Amino acid sequence: MVKAISYTLAAIALCIGLFIFSEIYIKTQFNEFESALDTLYSKIEDRTATREDGTAVRTLWNDKKSKLQVLLPHNDISYVDYWISEACGLLYNGEYELALGKIEVLKEITKNLPDAYGISLENIF
Amino acid sequence: MALIFIRTTVIFIALLILIRLMGKSQIGEMQPFEFVITLLIAELACIPMADTSIPILYGIIAIVTIFILHQIVQLLNMWFKPVKTVICGKPSVVINKNGIDEFQLKKNNLDVSDLIESMRSAGYFNLDDVYYGLFEANGSFSALEKPEKASYSLSLTLIDGGKPNAQNLERCGFDKERLSSFLKEQNARLKDVVVMTVNGEGRVYFQKRGEKYKILNVEVNGQW
Repeated sequence: MVKAISYTLAAIALCIGLFIFSEIYIKTQFNEFESALDTLYSKIEDRTATREDGTAVRTLWNDKKSKLQVLLPHNDISYVDYWISEACGLLYNGEYELALGKIEVLKEITKNLPDAYGISLENIF
Repeated sequence: MALIFIRTTVIFIALLILIRLMGKSQIGEMQPFEFVITLLIAELACIPMADTSIPILYGIIAIVTIFILHQIVQLLNMWFKPVKTVICGKPSVVINKNGIDEFQLKKNNLDVSDLIESMRSAGYFNLDDVYYGLFEANGSFSALEKPEKASYSLSLTLIDGGKPNAQNLERCGFDKERLSSFLKEQNARLKDVVVMTVNGEGRVYFQKRGEKYKILNVEVNGQW
């Protein structure tokens, strides 16, 4: 009986710990990525963004991606991959106006993705 | 992550309610919550294994959630008896001193043929071999048997829940007219008969709806 209760409590504690950690971790990672995107967006708006800026954001994302894949479905991760590739491709070709649109989409995804896994009624059902 | 936990809990509770509503016919020797766990655990383990786009942690969290819910249900069962009745159900006495309790059978989504089948599985081949028969909460059949069996001949069901079994009637030499006159003698209409069985010795177990069962004797072909 005591064994059963202690196993149950341990499992509950482990789950709660993991929930809190994943919630905070996902939000932090996406916040950092979003601020990098904001910087890139401003630079593209000023037409001062270079190839290296695009590559830096991409590298940052690749670093975060490898860890986020443990916590998020891989399809959602590849969605970000797709838009970041599009934005960087346009940036490398100097098509700033079009790249801005892609970054805009990427920012929106980055903002909404962590919420899709938060506890809310619409997510539960 | 927490979302997976809550979603698994919601599905667990929904399935448990559903299985309880389906009655004892669906569970077969498992407690309802154990049956729900059996249903869920295979799927939960399988999906992250087969679909590489889902993090394996999602499967692990769902399985751990099932473990936690299982433990909680077990503890509630031990500590609070009313909760046990709600979650696991209670035994249903389907055969009493008056014969078959049709209300209890219907409550568990069973019919007379299911009862006879369960009795045969438990080793009772005649309805009057037992004083009391009950379906346990886990769906298994238990009985308080009579010290001596009524007969050692297999019973055939002639009428089950108001519906005649043409094949069995023919086998024991009951045509339409003979059945009608038999029912007339018993002052019963076909649809009022809960059950009528006859064995190879002509021993009839006859029960009219709302009345105690009767043991009668008729002549049969004796072909079984």
